[in-house]
Amino acid sequence: MSKHVTEWLNAYLDGELQGSRLQHVETHLAECRVCRAELDSLERLSGLLDEVPAPEFTSSERFAAQVNLRLPHPQTTVSRKKILEIGWWMTPVGLLAAWVFISTSFLVNEVLSVANNLGLLSSVSDWMTFGAVSITDWSATLGQFGVLSGDGLNWAASTEAFTRTSLPQLTLQVSIALLYLSWIAIWWARRRREAHGQLLEG
Amino acid sequence: MATVFTVDETELVTRAQRGERNAFSELVRIHAQGVMNVIYRMCGDVHIAEDAAQETFIQAWLHLASYRPQASLRNWLYRIAVNAATDILRKEKRILPNALEDMQLKDPQPGPEAIFSQEERTGIVQKAVLGLPDASRAVLVLREYEGMSYHEIADALDIPVGTVMSRLNYARKLLKDKLEQKLLLQVEAEYV
Repeated sequence: MSKHVTEWLNAYLDGELQGSRLQHVETHLAECRVCRAELDSLERLSGLLDEVPAPEFTSSERFAAQVNLRLPHPQTTVSRKKILEIGWWMTPVGLLAAWVFISTSFLVNEVLSVANNLGLLSSVSDWMTFGAVSITDWSATLGQFGVLSGDGLNWAASTEAFTRTSLPQLTLQVSIALLYLSWIAIWWARRRREAHGQLLEG
Repeated sequence: MATVFTVDETELVTRAQRGERNAFSELVRIHAQGVMNVIYRMCGDVHIAEDAAQETFIQAWLHLASYRPQASLRNWLYRIAVNAATDILRKEKRILPNALEDMQLKDPQPGPEAIFSQEERTGIVQKAVLGLPDASRAVLVLREYEGMSYHEIADALDIPVGTVMSRLNYARKLLKDKLEQKLLLQVEAEYV
């Protein structure tokens, strides 16, 4: 008698054996009581498993309708939403970057102006003195033509200097601050609305 | 008949991949019972099985673009279903069958003693199946309750056929060891 075929009995029971392997197992089973008993035992186990019935599930039609209600919208909508969300969170970062850039620009401009006034930029190339142009063009012209003189000329020069340098800087920074505060206000309102919604769902 | 079904299903899949929800709903309708049954056999709770089956189809909808029509949709869905069942078992710390509530009897009119005996027997068998390791149980469920061939199981679970055989041998050996004393001898006596 050949070697026991226990390892192939499951596949034999499931109808998965073919050709010479099948023939070998069948021949062995015909002459081996041990393997036949093992096969019987596997058949009884299969019968026992078959006795455990499936419960009654929700009907396929109803189940399909339930799934349909839960299906997310197409991917494109999700992507657009994601882009908007990323844009929303990038807004304060952008505002901060704009504020840093503007402040730096004005600072450099002022430094160059002071350096220019002190005559430190006379030996450097033109592009470096580009930001250091005179900030009192109009008042100087008026003084040259004799329209203004003395305190009046000084006041006009100060006003022109203020409107040319500090006022734009101030306006831009206030605008950025207002935008940033608006963003915080909207963020806070959204958070409150979400918290309220969660409360209602809970 | 089977060819017509396959052609229809392929067309439904193509339409669903284009985003047609109705076509996908039809696919859900076709495979709902099979998917629910696989998950139920894996976890032993009807309600959880239905929830996990819904999750399975939602995942299928989200990843439908990655499905290759050359492969069997049923096998692909069963793979997602087995993963969903395994995840749920991990989260729910393994679910045992709800005693006798989820179990039905095969014989419509057995006597009072037979009812108890039958229910007790199915309960014991179901618990024994649920006690198997996840990987072996998945193979056993697909073979015993879905009647899938070894190649289909290998395709569904993305494992070699040899692994299917070894896991099935292992699962049946464990079950025989568990049930032999309690039930198999009783069944043998009944047959005699």
